[in-house]
Amino acid sequence: MNRLILILPGIILFLGLCSACTPKHTHTVLLTADPDGHVGKAEVTTAGGKLLLDSANAMTSISEPNAAPTVVTTASSEYINAKFAQVLAVEPVPSEKFIIYFNNNTSEMTSESKAIFPRIVDAIDKRKAISIKISGHADSTGSDKLNIKLSCARARAIRDLLARHGISAENMEVSSHGKGNQLIPTADNVAEPRNRRVEIIVR
Amino acid sequence: MRAIALNLLIILLAISPAAAFQPDSIGHIQTLNGTATILRGNTSIPAAKALPVFRGDTIRTSKTGSLGIVLTDDTTFSLGPNSEIVISDYMFNPREGKFSMITKMVKGTFSYISGLMGKLSPNSIKMDIPNATISVRGTKLLINIEAD
Repeated sequence: MNRLILILPGIILFLGLCSACTPKHTHTVLLTADPDGHVGKAEVTTAGGKLLLDSANAMTSISEPNAAPTVVTTASSEYINAKFAQVLAVEPVPSEKFIIYFNNNTSEMTSESKAIFPRIVDAIDKRKAISIKISGHADSTGSDKLNIKLSCARARAIRDLLARHGISAENMEVSSHGKGNQLIPTADNVAEPRNRRVEIIVR
Repeated sequence: MRAIALNLLIILLAISPAAAFQPDSIGHIQTLNGTATILRGNTSIPAAKALPVFRGDTIRTSKTGSLGIVLTDDTTFSLGPNSEIVISDYMFNPREGKFSMITKMVKGTFSYISGLMGKLSPNSIKMDIPNATISVRGTKLLINIEAD
Protein backbone atom coordinates (compact mmCIF):
# COMPACT_ATOMS: atom_id res chain seq x y z
CA MET A 1 0.00 0.00 0.00
CA ASN A 2 2.77 2.36 1.03
CA ARG A 3 4.60 1.55 -2.13
CA LEU A 4 1.53 2.35 -4.24
CA ILE A 5 1.24 5.75 -2.58
CA LEU A 6 4.86 6.37 -3.42
CA ILE A 7 4.58 5.54 -7.09
CA LEU A 8 1.09 6.95 -7.68
CA PRO A 9 2.33 10.54 -8.31
CA GLY A 10 4.81 9.10 -10.74
CA ILE A 11 2.09 7.28 -12.66
CA ILE A 12 -0.10 10.41 -12.79
CA LEU A 13 2.85 12.52 -13.98
CA PHE A 14 3.67 9.93 -16.61
CA LEU A 15 0.09 9.88 -17.94
CA GLY A 16 -0.02 13.69 -17.91
CA LEU A 17 3.22 13.97 -19.86
CA CYS A 18 2.06 11.39 -22.34
CA SER A 19 -1.10 13.23 -23.25
CA ALA A 20 0.99 16.38 -23.78
CA CYS A 21 3.66 14.68 -25.80
CA THR A 22 1.79 14.23 -29.05
CA PRO A 23 4.73 14.84 -31.40
CA LYS A 24 3.68 18.29 -32.55
CA HIS A 25 6.27 21.03 -32.29
CA THR A 26 5.59 24.60 -33.18
CA HIS A 27 8.41 26.70 -34.59
CA THR A 28 8.19 30.46 -34.63
CA VAL A 29 9.83 33.04 -36.91
CA LEU A 30 9.63 36.66 -35.85
CA LEU A 31 10.85 39.75 -37.71
CA THR A 32 12.13 42.66 -35.62
CA ALA A 33 13.90 45.95 -36.28
CA ASP A 34 17.68 45.92 -36.88
CA PRO A 35 19.96 47.54 -34.28
CA ASP A 36 19.76 50.71 -36.45
CA GLY A 37 15.93 50.68 -36.42
CA HIS A 38 15.45 49.47 -39.99
CA VAL A 39 12.85 46.72 -40.63
CA GLY A 40 13.72 44.35 -43.50
CA LYS A 41 11.82 41.42 -44.96
CA ALA A 42 11.84 37.66 -44.54
CA GLU A 43 10.05 34.93 -46.41
CA VAL A 44 9.17 31.61 -44.78
CA THR A 45 8.60 28.67 -47.13
CA THR A 46 7.16 25.23 -46.27
CA ALA A 47 5.95 22.37 -48.43
CA GLY A 48 2.46 23.88 -48.05
CA GLY A 49 3.19 27.48 -49.07
CA LYS A 50 5.13 30.66 -48.37
CA LEU A 51 4.58 33.74 -46.31
CA LEU A 52 6.20 37.20 -46.22
CA LEU A 53 7.06 39.01 -43.00
CA ASP A 54 7.60 42.72 -43.64
CA SER A 55 6.57 44.72 -40.58
CA ALA A 56 8.09 45.11 -37.11
CA ASN A 57 7.36 42.14 -34.81
CA ALA A 58 5.47 40.25 -37.52
CA MET A 59 5.39 36.57 -36.55
CA THR A 60 4.41 33.25 -38.10
CA SER A 61 4.40 29.65 -36.87
CA ILE A 62 5.03 26.29 -38.46
CA SER A 63 3.70 23.13 -36.84
CA GLU A 64 2.54 20.62 -39.45
CA PRO A 65 5.21 19.53 -41.94
CA ASN A 66 3.00 20.03 -44.98
CA ALA A 67 0.89 22.99 -43.88
CA ALA A 68 1.48 26.58 -44.96
CA PRO A 69 2.97 28.94 -42.34
CA THR A 70 0.21 30.45 -40.15
CA VAL A 71 -1.16 33.93 -40.94
CA VAL A 72 0.96 36.81 -39.69
CA THR A 73 0.34 38.05 -36.17
CA THR A 74 2.14 40.81 -34.29
CA ALA A 75 4.22 39.69 -31.32
CA SER A 76 3.89 41.72 -28.12
CA SER A 77 7.01 42.89 -26.32
CA GLU A 78 5.94 40.71 -23.37
CA TYR A 79 5.99 37.66 -25.62
CA ILE A 80 9.38 38.59 -27.06
CA ASN A 81 10.88 39.13 -23.62
CA ALA A 82 9.42 35.91 -22.24
CA LYS A 83 10.58 33.78 -25.14
CA PHE A 84 13.86 35.42 -26.16
CA ALA A 85 15.23 37.24 -23.07
CA GLN A 86 18.32 35.00 -22.79
CA VAL A 87 19.22 35.12 -26.46
CA LEU A 88 18.71 38.91 -26.59
CA ALA A 89 20.96 39.30 -23.55
CA VAL A 90 23.89 37.60 -25.30
CA GLU A 91 23.63 39.43 -28.68
CA PRO A 92 27.00 40.94 -29.65
CA VAL A 93 27.07 44.74 -29.58
CA PRO A 94 27.27 46.16 -33.15
CA SER A 95 30.79 46.83 -34.38
CA GLU A 96 32.39 50.28 -34.37
CA LYS A 97 34.37 51.56 -37.36
CA PHE A 98 37.17 54.12 -37.39
CA ILE A 99 39.13 55.57 -40.30
CA ILE A 100 42.68 56.86 -40.02
CA TYR A 101 44.12 58.96 -42.88
CA PHE A 102 47.75 59.23 -44.01
CA ASN A 103 50.04 61.73 -45.66
CA ASN A 104 50.81 61.15 -49.33
CA ASN A 105 53.08 58.16 -50.02
CA THR A 106 53.86 57.54 -46.36
CA SER A 107 52.62 55.48 -43.45
CA GLU A 108 52.52 58.59 -41.31
CA MET A 109 49.10 59.64 -39.99
CA THR A 110 47.72 63.06 -40.80
CA SER A 111 47.72 65.37 -37.80
CA GLU A 112 43.90 65.18 -37.61
CA SER A 113 44.05 61.40 -37.44
CA LYS A 114 46.81 61.48 -34.84
CA ALA A 115 44.46 63.52 -32.71
CA ILE A 116 41.60 61.01 -32.88
CA PHE A 117 43.79 57.93 -32.36
CA PRO A 118 43.33 57.88 -28.56
CA ARG A 119 39.56 57.57 -29.13
CA ILE A 120 40.14 54.26 -30.89
CA VAL A 121 42.21 52.92 -28.01
CA ASP A 122 39.48 54.06 -25.60
CA ALA A 123 36.76 52.33 -27.62
CA ILE A 124 38.73 49.07 -27.71
CA ASP A 125 39.31 49.20 -23.95
CA LYS A 126 35.78 50.24 -23.07
CA ARG A 127 34.05 47.47 -24.99
CA LYS A 128 36.77 44.91 -24.11
CA ALA A 129 37.07 44.21 -27.83
CA ILE A 130 38.31 40.79 -28.84
CA SER A 131 38.38 41.38 -32.60
CA ILE A 132 40.13 44.35 -34.21
CA LYS A 133 40.25 44.21 -38.00
CA ILE A 134 42.77 46.59 -39.55
CA SER A 135 42.72 47.06 -43.31
CA GLY A 136 45.21 49.25 -45.18
CA HIS A 137 44.41 51.20 -48.37
CA ALA A 138 46.18 53.49 -50.82
CA ASP A 139 44.96 55.94 -53.44
CA SER A 140 45.26 55.05 -57.14
CA THR A 141 48.47 56.95 -57.93
CA GLY A 142 51.61 54.85 -58.45
CA SER A 143 52.10 51.21 -59.36
CA ASP A 144 50.07 48.33 -57.95
CA LYS A 145 53.22 46.95 -56.34
CA LEU A 146 53.90 50.21 -54.57
CA ASN A 147 50.31 50.52 -53.40
CA ILE A 148 50.21 47.02 -51.96
CA LYS A 149 53.42 47.73 -50.07
CA LEU A 150 52.15 51.11 -48.91
CA SER A 151 48.74 49.87 -47.78
CA CYS A 152 50.41 47.02 -45.92
CA ALA A 153 52.86 49.38 -44.22
CA ARG A 154 49.98 51.65 -43.15
CA ALA A 155 47.97 48.77 -41.65
CA ARG A 156 51.03 47.47 -39.80
CA ALA A 157 51.93 50.91 -38.50
CA ILE A 158 48.47 51.11 -36.93
CA ARG A 159 48.70 47.58 -35.55
CA ASP A 160 52.10 48.32 -33.99
CA LEU A 161 50.88 51.56 -32.51
CA LEU A 162 47.81 49.87 -31.02
CA ALA A 163 50.10 47.15 -29.61
CA ARG A 164 52.24 49.86 -27.98
CA HIS A 165 49.04 51.11 -26.34
CA GLY A 166 48.55 47.69 -24.76
CA ILE A 167 46.15 46.13 -27.26
CA SER A 168 46.81 42.40 -27.55
CA ALA A 169 48.33 41.42 -30.91
CA GLU A 170 46.34 38.20 -30.72
CA ASN A 171 43.09 40.12 -31.19
CA MET A 172 44.29 42.09 -34.21
CA GLU A 173 43.96 40.99 -37.80
CA VAL A 174 45.73 42.91 -40.57
CA SER A 175 44.85 42.97 -44.26
CA SER A 176 46.00 45.19 -47.11
CA HIS A 177 44.01 46.13 -50.17
CA GLY A 178 46.42 48.21 -52.25
CA LYS A 179 44.31 50.68 -54.23
CA GLY A 180 41.30 48.32 -54.02
CA ASN A 181 38.13 48.98 -51.98
CA GLN A 182 38.28 52.73 -52.42
CA LEU A 183 36.34 54.92 -50.05
CA ILE A 184 35.97 57.52 -52.80
CA PRO A 185 35.81 55.72 -56.17
CA THR A 186 38.32 57.23 -58.62
CA ALA A 187 39.95 56.34 -61.93
CA ASP A 188 43.59 55.25 -61.98
CA ASN A 189 46.29 57.77 -61.03
CA VAL A 190 44.04 60.07 -59.04
CA ALA A 191 45.46 61.54 -55.86
CA GLU A 192 42.62 61.24 -53.34
CA PRO A 193 43.55 61.85 -49.68
CA ARG A 194 40.42 60.09 -48.42
CA ASN A 195 41.57 56.83 -50.03
CA ARG A 196 44.92 56.92 -48.19
CA ARG A 197 43.59 55.26 -45.13
CA VAL A 198 43.37 52.42 -42.66
CA GLU A 199 39.95 51.19 -41.58
CA ILE A 200 39.63 49.70 -38.12
CA ILE A 201 36.59 47.62 -37.23
CA VAL A 202 36.25 46.93 -33.54
CA ARG A 203 34.15 44.09 -32.07
CA MET B 1 67.02 36.79 -57.68
CA ARG B 2 66.92 34.36 -54.81
CA ALA B 3 66.85 37.25 -52.39
CA ILE B 4 63.80 38.67 -54.16
CA ALA B 5 62.03 35.34 -54.03
CA LEU B 6 62.86 34.98 -50.37
CA ASN B 7 61.60 38.48 -49.65
CA LEU B 8 58.40 37.75 -51.48
CA LEU B 9 57.93 34.57 -49.48
CA ILE B 10 58.49 36.41 -46.22
CA ILE B 11 55.97 39.07 -47.22
CA LEU B 12 53.40 36.43 -48.20
CA LEU B 13 53.91 34.58 -44.93
CA ALA B 14 53.61 37.77 -42.95
CA ILE B 15 50.43 38.87 -44.70
CA SER B 16 48.48 35.65 -44.54
CA PRO B 17 49.95 32.99 -42.29
CA ALA B 18 46.57 31.30 -41.81
CA ALA B 19 45.45 31.30 -45.42
CA ALA B 20 48.52 29.47 -46.63
CA PHE B 21 48.31 26.43 -44.39
CA GLN B 22 44.80 25.95 -43.07
CA PRO B 23 41.27 26.95 -44.00
CA ASP B 24 40.37 30.45 -42.89
CA SER B 25 38.08 30.84 -39.95
CA ILE B 26 34.70 32.31 -40.89
CA GLY B 27 34.08 34.13 -37.64
CA HIS B 28 34.47 33.90 -33.89
CA ILE B 29 32.58 33.57 -30.63
CA GLN B 30 32.02 37.09 -29.37
CA THR B 31 29.90 36.52 -26.26
CA LEU B 32 29.43 33.52 -23.99
CA ASN B 33 27.42 32.74 -20.87
CA GLY B 34 27.62 29.32 -19.23
CA THR B 35 28.89 26.44 -21.34
CA ALA B 36 28.62 25.49 -24.99
CA THR B 37 30.33 23.16 -27.43
CA ILE B 38 31.60 23.33 -30.99
CA LEU B 39 31.43 20.03 -32.88
CA ARG B 40 34.04 19.99 -35.65
CA GLY B 41 34.25 16.71 -37.53
CA ASN B 42 34.70 14.11 -34.81
CA THR B 43 36.03 16.48 -32.20
CA SER B 44 34.13 18.40 -29.59
CA ILE B 45 35.64 21.69 -28.46
CA PRO B 46 34.47 23.66 -25.43
CA ALA B 47 33.33 27.11 -26.55
CA ALA B 48 35.35 30.11 -25.37
CA LYS B 49 35.28 33.81 -26.10
CA ALA B 50 37.27 34.74 -29.25
CA LEU B 51 37.45 31.09 -30.37
CA PRO B 52 37.39 30.93 -34.18
CA VAL B 53 34.47 29.31 -35.98
CA PHE B 54 34.91 27.29 -39.19
CA ARG B 55 32.70 26.27 -42.10
CA GLY B 56 30.87 23.06 -41.21
CA ASP B 57 30.88 23.67 -37.45
CA THR B 58 27.93 22.67 -35.29
CA ILE B 59 27.46 24.95 -32.29
CA ARG B 60 25.48 23.69 -29.34
CA THR B 61 24.68 25.43 -26.06
CA SER B 62 24.04 23.64 -22.76
CA LYS B 63 20.82 24.00 -20.74
CA THR B 64 22.28 27.05 -19.05
CA GLY B 65 24.53 28.25 -21.89
CA SER B 66 24.09 31.02 -24.44
CA LEU B 67 26.47 32.67 -26.90
CA GLY B 68 26.86 35.11 -29.78
CA ILE B 69 28.83 34.46 -32.98
CA VAL B 70 30.12 37.13 -35.37
CA LEU B 71 30.91 36.02 -38.93
CA THR B 72 33.39 37.72 -41.27
CA ASP B 73 30.73 39.82 -43.02
CA ASP B 74 29.41 41.04 -39.64
CA THR B 75 26.42 38.68 -39.63
CA THR B 76 25.63 37.69 -36.05
CA PHE B 77 23.89 34.58 -34.76
CA SER B 78 23.05 34.37 -31.08
CA LEU B 79 21.92 31.16 -29.41
CA GLY B 80 19.83 30.85 -26.27
CA PRO B 81 20.07 27.86 -23.90
CA ASN B 82 19.74 24.30 -25.24
CA SER B 83 20.13 25.42 -28.85
CA GLU B 84 21.93 23.99 -31.85
CA ILE B 85 22.94 25.45 -35.21
CA VAL B 86 24.98 24.01 -38.09
CA ILE B 87 26.87 26.39 -40.37
CA SER B 88 26.83 24.11 -43.39
CA ASP B 89 28.35 26.55 -45.84
CA TYR B 90 29.85 30.03 -45.63
CA MET B 91 31.78 32.06 -48.14
CA PHE B 92 32.29 35.81 -48.10
CA ASN B 93 34.57 37.02 -50.85
CA PRO B 94 33.38 40.40 -52.16
CA ARG B 95 36.47 40.87 -54.36
CA GLU B 96 35.53 37.81 -56.43
CA GLY B 97 31.79 38.21 -55.90
CA LYS B 98 31.51 34.85 -54.14
CA PHE B 99 28.90 34.59 -51.42
CA SER B 100 27.18 31.74 -49.62
CA MET B 101 25.62 31.23 -46.22
CA ILE B 102 23.67 28.08 -45.48
CA THR B 103 22.70 27.41 -41.89
CA LYS B 104 20.48 24.87 -40.24
CA MET B 105 18.85 25.63 -36.92
CA VAL B 106 18.05 22.35 -35.18
CA LYS B 107 16.55 23.39 -31.84
CA GLY B 108 16.35 26.26 -29.39
CA THR B 109 16.13 30.05 -29.61
CA PHE B 110 18.08 32.24 -32.02
CA SER B 111 18.65 35.80 -33.02
CA TYR B 112 19.96 36.52 -36.51
CA ILE B 113 21.21 39.98 -37.51
CA SER B 114 22.21 40.33 -41.13
CA GLY B 115 25.64 41.64 -42.07
CA LEU B 116 27.25 42.81 -45.30
CA MET B 117 26.16 39.70 -47.20
CA GLY B 118 22.55 40.66 -46.55
CA LYS B 119 23.24 43.87 -48.48
CA LEU B 120 25.55 42.55 -51.21
CA SER B 121 23.93 39.21 -51.98
CA PRO B 122 20.75 38.39 -50.02
CA ASN B 123 19.91 35.50 -52.38
CA SER B 124 23.02 33.66 -51.15
CA ILE B 125 21.56 33.41 -47.66
CA LYS B 126 19.49 30.38 -46.72
CA MET B 127 18.36 29.39 -43.26
CA ASP B 128 16.78 26.00 -42.70
CA ILE B 129 14.56 25.20 -39.75
CA PRO B 130 12.57 21.97 -39.32
CA ASN B 131 9.86 21.85 -42.03
CA ALA B 132 10.68 25.29 -43.46
CA THR B 133 13.31 27.53 -45.04
CA ILE B 134 13.76 31.24 -44.48
CA SER B 135 15.11 33.81 -46.93
CA VAL B 136 15.89 37.35 -45.87
CA ARG B 137 16.25 40.90 -47.12
CA GLY B 138 18.66 42.59 -44.70
CA THR B 139 17.04 42.21 -41.33
CA LYS B 140 16.87 40.83 -37.84
CA LEU B 141 14.96 37.67 -36.96
CA LEU B 142 14.10 35.88 -33.76
CA ILE B 143 13.49 32.16 -34.17
CA ASN B 144 12.19 29.57 -31.73
CA ILE B 145 12.41 25.88 -32.55
CA GLU B 146 10.71 23.39 -30.30
CA ALA B 147 12.25 19.94 -29.93
CA ASP B 148 12.03 16.87 -27.71
